[in-house]
Amino acid sequence: MKKTEHAIILLILATGVSSVVTQLLTIREFLAQFSGNEFIITLIFFNWLVLSGTGTLFARRTAILKKHMPSACTLTVCSLTLACLPVLQFFFIRFFRDFFFTHGTSVGFYPTLMFSMLLMAPYCLTLGFVLPYSLFILRLGRKTFSGTSIYIIDNIGDISGGILFSFVLIFVATPMQAFLFCGTVLIVATIYFCHAWSLSKPFWIISGILSFTVLLSGIFLEWTSIAPLEGMLETYKESRYGRVAVHKNKDQYTFFLDGMPVVSSQNELLAEEIVHFPLSQIERAENILVISGQGGIMREIARYKPENVFYLEMDPDVSGNMFRYGMITPIPGLQVIHEDAGKWLAATPLTFNAVIMNMPEPDTFQVNRFYTDRFFREVSSHLHEDGIFSFYIDGYDNYMTEPQREKISTIYNTLSECFSYISVLPAEKIFFLGSRKPIDTDIPKCLEKKGIDTEYIKSYFYGNITSMRMNYLSGLIDEKAPVNSDLSPRLMRIMYRQWFEKFDSSPIIFVILLTVSVGYYILRLSKGEYVLFTTGIMAMGSEIIIIFIYQTFYGYIYFKIGIIITLFLSGLLPGAIYGERFQTEREKDVLLAVTDGLIILMMVVLVAAISFLGAHVHHAFFLACGFIFSILCGFQFPLASRMKNNNNETLAAAFSADLMGASLGTILTSLILIPWSGIYGAIVCLLLIKLTSIAITARSS
Amino acid sequence: MNEKTLLTRRSFVTCSFAAISSCALAGPFALSALALPAQDIHGQIFKNDAPDKLWKWSHEGFLYRKLAGDKVMCGICPNHCILDKGDRSVCRSKVNMNGKLYTLAYGNPCSLNVDPVEKKPLFHFKPGTRVFSLATTGCNFRCLNCQNWEISQARPEDVRHYDLFPDGVVKEAISSQTQSIAYTYSEATTYFEYMIDIARLAKENGLFNLYISNGYINQEPLLELVKVLDGANINLKSFSDDVYRKLNGGRLNPVLETFKTLHEKKVHFEITNLVVPGYNDNEKLVNAMCDWILENLGPDHPLHFLRFFPQYKLDRLAPTPVSTLDTFRDIAMKKGLHYVYLGNVPNHEGNHTCCHQCGKRIVERKGYYISRFDITSGACSYCKTVIPGVW
Repeated sequence: MKKTEHAIILLILATGVSSVVTQLLTIREFLAQFSGNEFIITLIFFNWLVLSGTGTLFARRTAILKKHMPSACTLTVCSLTLACLPVLQFFFIRFFRDFFFTHGTSVGFYPTLMFSMLLMAPYCLTLGFVLPYSLFILRLGRKTFSGTSIYIIDNIGDISGGILFSFVLIFVATPMQAFLFCGTVLIVATIYFCHAWSLSKPFWIISGILSFTVLLSGIFLEWTSIAPLEGMLETYKESRYGRVAVHKNKDQYTFFLDGMPVVSSQNELLAEEIVHFPLSQIERAENILVISGQGGIMREIARYKPENVFYLEMDPDVSGNMFRYGMITPIPGLQVIHEDAGKWLAATPLTFNAVIMNMPEPDTFQVNRFYTDRFFREVSSHLHEDGIFSFYIDGYDNYMTEPQREKISTIYNTLSECFSYISVLPAEKIFFLGSRKPIDTDIPKCLEKKGIDTEYIKSYFYGNITSMRMNYLSGLIDEKAPVNSDLSPRLMRIMYRQWFEKFDSSPIIFVILLTVSVGYYILRLSKGEYVLFTTGIMAMGSEIIIIFIYQTFYGYIYFKIGIIITLFLSGLLPGAIYGERFQTEREKDVLLAVTDGLIILMMVVLVAAISFLGAHVHHAFFLACGFIFSILCGFQFPLASRMKNNNNETLAAAFSADLMGASLGTILTSLILIPWSGIYGAIVCLLLIKLTSIAITARSS
Repeated sequence: MNEKTLLTRRSFVTCSFAAISSCALAGPFALSALALPAQDIHGQIFKNDAPDKLWKWSHEGFLYRKLAGDKVMCGICPNHCILDKGDRSVCRSKVNMNGKLYTLAYGNPCSLNVDPVEKKPLFHFKPGTRVFSLATTGCNFRCLNCQNWEISQARPEDVRHYDLFPDGVVKEAISSQTQSIAYTYSEATTYFEYMIDIARLAKENGLFNLYISNGYINQEPLLELVKVLDGANINLKSFSDDVYRKLNGGRLNPVLETFKTLHEKKVHFEITNLVVPGYNDNEKLVNAMCDWILENLGPDHPLHFLRFFPQYKLDRLAPTPVSTLDTFRDIAMKKGLHYVYLGNVPNHEGNHTCCHQCGKRIVERKGYYISRFDITSGACSYCKTVIPGVW
């Protein structure tokens, strides 16, 4: 291989590593700056893929323009831009967040879509442009250079970036440090490229130094860029699960998780309700299980003199800071366990007098698992005969909206599948209590009998939880509302409605625009591009489904989810290498149809496994599924991208179709198919989409 | 190698300039369209949003002007909505139907409760009594931290509601053994016609009327209302017009005028001020507010500093530190205000009432309960100083 080719390959690898790290950090940044619900996660992913796909289409335009000769200079500028732009992108996100939106407010769907798309555009468009453009440069020297090779090299870079971030950088580096590391690698690769292509020395030295200066500025300004306007930033950590920060304002510490204030050192009233509502009902407190913490609760629990308190907190950084700032105090018998609650409960033989759950609202797949019939049954099986289960959701002050009514009804009905007695209390939050024995909702009286004095409940309970308010709430519960289950997460759908209602908005405009754009795009696709487009949909859709099912059955295990994602990327590589062997048109047509058939078969196997075996399916099955899916998708790329010919224009279009399909697959599966039709419905829809691809391939051959 | 692939000085400068300028300029320019709403969140009229026909709970507007071309101008609040035929007002309650202004919020409350009077908050009005509280939908503001956004930012037709005309409300209030009716939760001004008809009937039946409002009301309807009003709590959201525009979508001056009118007409009222970190937690602002109160209203109207908690859209701010509220209370009392309380801080010293003359604690509150009440015939039981309020 020539030195010039070698230099470009290194550049593509470095770009792949840097881009995946930037993508993952950008998603986390938007989660922290906007909202942690599934909409935002999907939206950022969608923007990324669509913009990269559009960038690839720009490259295609340059290939069409006969007058334009691919230039090493352009690639140099693009690569250096990619090296330092993540830092600028982050500063822009942080600065413009408060410039364009009112400080301290949440932002709705459309403003988030516009903001994220515009701020991500420079990076993503450049990124999408670079990959095919690198191939054009390579083909200046060797016209027959294979497009699939570029796809493979890019995938190696992506896989390396994913592994580097998930298993190394997340533990040791802040976002700006991660950018510095990856950006430096990219700058070095660019300088090597410039050297190999004999570009003017003073200019690449100056531009390299300038880019590196931008990266360094990120390190120095990082802390300042996330400091709050009120008070000061006391602690900041990017944990595996999100951004953990503690702000200090005068004598108050507030714990922020992904930008949302979750616990304040001066908010004791919620702790009283969380603890005393359930514990006032039990005779003895031998074993108490607390799933996720809230400020001040241990102090209140200690008043019942429990023998053992098991405090489950998945993120060690969360519990660590809660202890450090006195929001949770150590009490006798307390054991802190850093594990997923679903996984821990499934394995433990212990039973409890009370299980107190403090989970966020069920607006992500990950959290929805704690509000399903299966989880409630698991909790119920670990309760003593007279034990009690308690949790809460966001409340309302004086009027219950329709989505809120549906949410409460669904939770109530789900809970009633597992408990004979249920009480719902409209307090600061809406509390659900479930037990096998009757529940006395006169909490102050129960506490009086136990000789426990409280500050807040005693003084405010009867004024807030009046019989009129109780009757209003119980009268609105719809007993016909369907239950929330793992494979049909009804609550998420309701949460989406609630989110849109809060911003007086509707997703309909977006859906219409998306449908029209996708329709227009599909009409312009060639047969091969359509196959790749549907494969992109299938690849992302199946990845989301497999991760969803996996964490539903086994809990959220950071490393294993990371491995699934890595396997999804890893299979593309051998698949593409193998697919490259088949050259004749006849072979391609047959193999495309065969792989489409295999993808469909894999989906059917997946459905059969979860239907008949459920949680008994071995972990390895899901890992294998992910790997095989990606092998099949990778295998299709070289076949489909060479359906007509192997010119630059066709290849750029193929890259673009793959990315566009992936973006549609993300949004379709996460936001529409799973919440609205459940896992089975989602799989059927994806199968139908893939069947259209088979039909087209079969008809043309 | 092709000569065109070489990096020339000109091409480098051109490419760099293009890249930097597109990053630096394109994004912000495109985003400027988004920036405008963040400066002033004032509500807009809803064009062609009126229902096809009136419903059972419609009532002709109390105060409006007919304009040319079948337009009407609502006269209830300073928004002065000018509505074409078929338009709906900013508050979502009023519509122009064939050249006449109608309210759609009359006899259809969406929220009914019996609350302790302390919850309003009213600390100097019949302490320990219960209040029949009601609301229809609608608000003339767009507060980003609204506690009742589910009804304040909704149309009357879009919610579940009771069927309760003014005589029914009075009957319900009497049967629930309450002494007062509070017009509260959303914004009472937006259902003015319903409120004033209930208030007149309530007065005739010996009930008190309590107006819990943002105070964004015109003088003419207010002067009509004060004839039947016994108490009020007016939320002075901030003493900065800029914050009013940014967080509430309203203006400061009309609210100040409401305070002056209530004071002149000798209606008992209390003032609440929500201290939002980063917006209202400014000592200069508190100093200016207290100076204005003292100069225009005197020292006797109770002032409540409320602790902010993340709510509705303003949910990414930390709660107000209690020490900030303590500082503000000290400032206000040092300035000379007689009764300054802290709200949303349970069992704090600032929940109790101390006589402004002798300093003794005369009303002790434990949440919504009165554990000590040393006011006799409206005066301090210790030094006999008259304590302002309705006891």
